[in-house]
Amino acid sequence: MGVVSRSVGNAFRNKVRSGAVVVILAVAIGLALAMLVANQAVGAKVDSLKASVGNNLTVNPAGSRGGLGGGNPLTAADATKAAAVAHVTSVNGTLSVRLANSAATSTTTATPGAGQGADRGGPGGGFGSSGTTSLKSAVDPGVLGQRNNSNSGATGGSTGGSTTTRPAFTIPIQATGVSTSTTATGAAIKVTSGAQLTDFAANSTQALVGTTLATKNSLKVGSTFTVQSRTMTVTGIFDAGDAFDNNGIYLPLAATQTLTSQAGQLSSLNVVVDNIENVSATQAALTASLGATNVDVTAGSSGLQSAISSLGSVQSISLIAFIASLVTAGLIVLLIMIMVVRERRREIGVLKAIGAANRTIGVQFVLEAMVLVVMGTVVGAVVAAFSSNPIVSALVAGNTGSTAAAAGPVQGAGGGGGFGGGFGGGGFTRTRGAFSGASQLIGTISTSVGWQTLVLGAVGILVIAAIGALIPSLLTAKVRPIEVLRGE
Amino acid sequence: MLSVTDVVKTFNSGDRTIKPVNGVSFTLEQGTFAAILGKSGSGKSTLLSLLGALDKASSGDVVVDEVNISKLPDRKLTAYRRDDIGFVFQQYNLIPNLSALENVMLPMEFAGVRHGERSKRAAELLNQVELTEEMHGRKANRLSGGMQQRVAIARALANNPKLILADEPTGNLDDETGELIIALLRQLAHEKKTTILVVTHDHALASQTDRKFRLARGKLTED
Repeated sequence: MGVVSRSVGNAFRNKVRSGAVVVILAVAIGLALAMLVANQAVGAKVDSLKASVGNNLTVNPAGSRGGLGGGNPLTAADATKAAAVAHVTSVNGTLSVRLANSAATSTTTATPGAGQGADRGGPGGGFGSSGTTSLKSAVDPGVLGQRNNSNSGATGGSTGGSTTTRPAFTIPIQATGVSTSTTATGAAIKVTSGAQLTDFAANSTQALVGTTLATKNSLKVGSTFTVQSRTMTVTGIFDAGDAFDNNGIYLPLAATQTLTSQAGQLSSLNVVVDNIENVSATQAALTASLGATNVDVTAGSSGLQSAISSLGSVQSISLIAFIASLVTAGLIVLLIMIMVVRERRREIGVLKAIGAANRTIGVQFVLEAMVLVVMGTVVGAVVAAFSSNPIVSALVAGNTGSTAAAAGPVQGAGGGGGFGGGFGGGGFTRTRGAFSGASQLIGTISTSVGWQTLVLGAVGILVIAAIGALIPSLLTAKVRPIEVLRGE
Repeated sequence: MLSVTDVVKTFNSGDRTIKPVNGVSFTLEQGTFAAILGKSGSGKSTLLSLLGALDKASSGDVVVDEVNISKLPDRKLTAYRRDDIGFVFQQYNLIPNLSALENVMLPMEFAGVRHGERSKRAAELLNQVELTEEMHGRKANRLSGGMQQRVAIARALANNPKLILADEPTGNLDDETGELIIALLRQLAHEKKTTILVVTHDHALASQTDRKFRLARGKLTED
């Protein structure tokens, strides 16, 4: 029997008490670990938000937003002007167009009436479409799509005063012309198979296809489909994370402009600012430079500051709770070990009387405390594993609920997509995130344990052990060997 | 050889100064089996604690084999207790959650003896004090008083000490077991040349020792 096994044995001398101590420690350590995990997860979310939308501004034609409104398209000259504005680090122009299914279009028997409804009466989701494609939409129109189509058709029918034969409506496919491997909001396109676009020339035949659209049309990397009369080849399949975006395609910008006869035109500009602190000033400068009557400049997310502020509160709370839980766990170990030392003064005296050095006895008590801490940590880790996600959710919900209502609108990624169709009242536009607040911007926060969390957790546990074991072990040094004769 | 010269131990109790040991002097040759008799509170245990370096004398010298332990620093006192002294306590003072064997191994562990060697020697010592092998692995708190005292004696012998100090070693034992313990101690003194000093108020025990001292009011006299 050595000092280690003796210490382990001593830790279980009073099983009921040790069990109770381990349970209490597990709760405290579990809470500490959960708070640490929450702190790390929220920190990662803040970084992610800042990286994704924090420094971004979106420039749309004045009066136009996501296929609604009007105005004149942006041009390459606008992009050049925007790039010259102070604090702007990059400008990425995109052109979003809607493509109707060519097969459905060929069966059209519409009799257009006069007025605005004329170009809305076509089938296959033809309202607002800028071209045709062989692809079939992966999104079912459903009630909303039919309602939107019905609204636009009614307008056309009544205004034109003639009969319109309406075939089955299908959702148009959104094609986004890009000049880099990023979305209209500046985020990287997440290609799950194949490769990113590499040929951005006007005659390029490369295309990226969303996952659900690819599945619907049985497309794989290397498959072909048509846009207008050009045969495009699938270089990659991307996953945007939602059904709307995954029903879209990415094409080279120049090719999109050529195919849809919109040479030099852009539907939106994504402007990256050098620092999140300069976003507001740059927003004003861009508006001034491009003309307030020509463009609308919106922050990537006006709810961002509110979201970051909310998450900052969560981070602070979780950090304080982490430290408080650690100190609590340390105090639990400290108090229990002080009690153990007091109980075993005579035994310590015996050990000293038969030749044990202070250091040997100190190590024995440190190890005994460590056994309790390790057991508490193991059980606490299980507690943390089950509680960290609910705790994060509760903290985030509690801190974003009050600020969410005050947050401003969030711009969708499809701004300007309806140029080809003009007005239609009921055009299918992407409204995700519109008027959503900080809580929607934050979305869900998933917890995970990375190396940094493990290191910080280990340091925290060592702090507990240090607080809880070293002081009692020092107390054992003060116990005199004569204690052995107490009560004899 | 143990040489004690004019040892005094003083305690302060409120306004009073108590001297449980007041100018004690005596000498014991190697292999002597000696007893100090005295009533309860006569200072026997205090004197024993001074000889065993459990406590420090207020004045005087305790010399064991030409080493004055009264002047040793704490670190060397630990080594002295470990290597040169064996204690047998009235209450046995075994570690309750350790087995008889493990209790005997403890002083050897502190002395740095390797596990295999100390396990073997501990078993030999337990056999020597006539503790059956089936009892070696039994937890100390599950042994009878006589068995515990035998384990305590075996533990005191673990590091081959020069001096064994026994405080009322038969105080809690029945007559038969007490006789066995006394015989064991006498055998150790005479055959192993270990100096043994017991403090007791048991005259029957004292009558079997080589030398007898009486301690009364802090003063030691030899019969």
